[in-house]
Parts: sequence; C-alpha cells; structure tokens
Amino acid sequence: MSLLWPTRIGRLAPQFLGSAGLLVLWMGALATPAVAQTSEEPAVTIGMTNTLSFTKDTVRVEVGETVRWENSSVIVHTVTADSEEATMEESMRLPEGAAPFHSGNLAPDETFEYTFETPGRYRYFCVPHEAAMRATVIVEPAGKG
Amino acid sequence: MIRTSLPTRFLPFFSNASQRNEGRRLRTGLLVVAAAVLAVLLANTTQAQDKNMKKMLMQLQEMNQADGYLEAHRDVENPPELLGGPLSFAVEQNSGGVLVGLPDQRELDSDVFGTPEMPLAFTGTPGVTGVPVPFREVENGQFTQLDRPTPFGNKSTAMPSGSMMLKAQDVTATDAATTEDQVKFKASWEDKQGNTYAVRCCEMLSAAGPEFPTFGGVVTNHLLHGFSGVGTPLMPTEYTYAAFWGMGAVLKNGEVVDKPRVVHGMLTEYVRTEGYELASDSEVTPTRKHFHLMVAPFMPVKGEHKFEHNNVSTGFQLPNGKELPFWHVMFENLNIESQRGE
Repeated sequence: MSLLWPTRIGRLAPQFLGSAGLLVLWMGALATPAVAQTSEEPAVTIGMTNTLSFTKDTVRVEVGETVRWENSSVIVHTVTADSEEATMEESMRLPEGAAPFHSGNLAPDETFEYTFETPGRYRYFCVPHEAAMRATVIVEPAGKG
Repeated sequence: MIRTSLPTRFLPFFSNASQRNEGRRLRTGLLVVAAAVLAVLLANTTQAQDKNMKKMLMQLQEMNQADGYLEAHRDVENPPELLGGPLSFAVEQNSGGVLVGLPDQRELDSDVFGTPEMPLAFTGTPGVTGVPVPFREVENGQFTQLDRPTPFGNKSTAMPSGSMMLKAQDVTATDAATTEDQVKFKASWEDKQGNTYAVRCCEMLSAAGPEFPTFGGVVTNHLLHGFSGVGTPLMPTEYTYAAFWGMGAVLKNGEVVDKPRVVHGMLTEYVRTEGYELASDSEVTPTRKHFHLMVAPFMPVKGEHKFEHNNVSTGFQLPNGKELPFWHVMFENLNIESQRGE
C-alpha cells in the first residue's frame, strides 16, 4: 500500500510532532487521505469532473507553490504521479529527483493538495480512469513569475 | 410530384364565373383523388417495405451462428466442470458514483462489422447478436455508425451513491440443461432528486443461452462481445475476467418496477476512452478493469431460441421526458477478490 501523504506535511511533520502524534496523524491520513493540509492559499485549484477529466489540462506554478485538486464530481477520483500505481507508461512523468505522489481515493467533495519542490514537468493521472483522465503541472523555478 | 394547381392548358375551358367555379370544384376534386391515390401508393410501399424488413429480420434470426453449438449443449444434464476446478470471486464497489449509459448511435468498428462490400456480424436478433446491414450508415465506402440509438454509445451521465456487490462461482464449464454456477448480485445508485435505483439477481441463471453461449450462467477469463460472437457486437471485443447472465429484478425506491428481467454483469478490461467514449477494439485499455451492469431492452421468447425487443421499466426519466428503456451502468472503483475452489 502506498503512503497517502501530501509532501508538504511529510516535510514539516517532524518539526512539531512527537512520535505518538505522528502515528495519530499517519492513521488519520490513511482514514481520510484527501483533506487539505496546507495553511497557504493554493496557487491553482483544479477540479475533477463527472466526464472523467481534470478541469485544467496544464497549469504552471513556481517551486514552493501548492496546487489544490477538488473532486467536484460524484465519481471517486485520484491525483496520482506514482509509477507503482500506473499501468501505462504515458500516464505519468516526474522530473528527475522529484518524489512520487498519490492522493488515494478522493470521494465527492474531497480535496487534495500538493506542494511542488522540484522544477520540471509533472504528468499525473486518475487511477481508476487512467485510460482517459490525465493532466500536467509545469513547475518553474521560484521568482520566475 | 404533387401539383397544387391544374396545368394552364385546362384554363381556356372555364371562361365565365360559373365555369370558373366549376373549374375550381373540378380542380379540388382532382387534387383530392390524386392525394388519395398517392397515399394508398405510399402506404402500400411502406407496408411492402415493412413486410420485407420483417422477413429479413426473421431470416437473420434464423441464421444465428451459435444455433448449432447451443443445440449440442443445451440438453446436457451432466455438464463438465471448469478446467482446474471451480473459481470463486467477489467484486464490490462500496461507495462513489456510477456512469450510466444513455441511448446513442454506436460508431461501427470495421474490425467487428467489416465493410459494406464485406459485412460482418449481421445475423441473429438485431442488437443482441448482430446488426443488420440496412441499419448501418455508410460514408466513403465505410460503415460509420448505427442509424438508431442503442444502449451502446458515447453518451453517459454520472449518478451518485453507487454501490454494487457480486459474489459468484464459476463451476460449470459449458452451456447445459443444468448448472452449478452461482450468483448473488445487487447494485444501487441514485439520481439528483434522491430517487434510488437498484438491480438484483439472480433467481435463475441462464444455464444455456438462447442465442449465444452463457457457459452455465457464469463465465470467467473469456473474450466477450465484439467479434467474439458472445453478446452484442456493439460493445468492443473485451477480455472478460468474469461475467454472468440471469433473471433478476429492477427496483426504484425499494419497489420492484420490472421483473423478471435478463440481468448481465461483467468485469472486463477498460473499454472507455477520453470523454468516456466507448472504445473501438484498438482503443481498449488492457491494464485497467471496470464492471458493467446491463439490463437490456430484450427478453427471450418463450419456447424459442431467440430474443425480442422489450423495453425495461426503469422509472428513470430522460431529459426528453421519455423513460430510459434499459440500464447500462458502469462501476469503476472496485475491490476484486478471487480464488480457486468453491
């Protein structure tokens, strides 16, 4: 089973949580894998639709910025860039050195956020709809915009 | 062509008012007679066309290619077991939505339907095992799409609160008079107004298919649809991990609205593409799975080995005010388990 964990929380958690707190938070992440975890406003919000698509095919953000995905459909979706979850080579691509991410199942109205720390082009997909539902995030160096 | 006035060569005969009135009456009379004759001719032509079409459809049903195979199997009292022994499996969707197929004209794949010069897949009951050539639209020497809507197309709508549970055993290998296959199936979903729709199965399994093999009611690890000859060619040829056919019930808000109905479910490789369009054979995604529920607008004809058209009472109203005459529902957020043995 892959860890259902937004990168930002994975990076910050040891700074303010003891091991017990970590365990509780980790279990909580398993039970509700797709709750917004950041205090910053996301740079971009992307919807996930009943017609099996992400509402923005390609978005551009800067390093350190957060993207939020909202499941605005009645269908379960995921936001995934993890080779362990992909069955088709063209479904995903990560920049060199970038960590994989996977939201887990997002029920209707649930959200998922991910903060991008490595520049480059991220191709991601929805696990149950891998054949049809893919999109791209392009991460540029900070300060470029 | 119908003329709306008499030719000018008649006019000199009606020179005064009385004669003009007579002329008008005569013209009116002639027009009425002409219209009546035309109507009779058209009706006769339409009747003749209908008669020819019915005759052709009956011939196509009689030409069903699976008849010989089914004849050899349907009376077998002790059918063989599956090679390697029984296979048990469970497929579940606990929550989330479903995608419901709506009536649409299916694009025709030349790999399945051939060409106008060399057509394929045209015998059997239209829509069940074949598609008559006159029902196919042609452009630039190729079949393009069906000329009428069916449950198999690109149109769909998402509906919330979908769940399904299938527990089954594939024991009997072939079509036969009896079966040891077993199926417990229930599925439900809702519309925007909060109405709940459900399908349950199976009070009886299709031990032998009327028009195509059903392998005792449950089949595992087999090709279905498309060019396979098992089920409608309007679905693409798809590797099917498990499928069943049986008699079940259709419910709305907990009340049975149609029973008995032929219920067909199958766990297959993924046969939808971008925009949730129904794939052609070359567009199928072998590495993903989804589950299809079909309550088709057909029923077997009692005492005969064929189907006839029969709309399902679903209770679900389409935007045009008509009732959706079938259920074609896809579940895509699945938990799947299987094991050898009962």
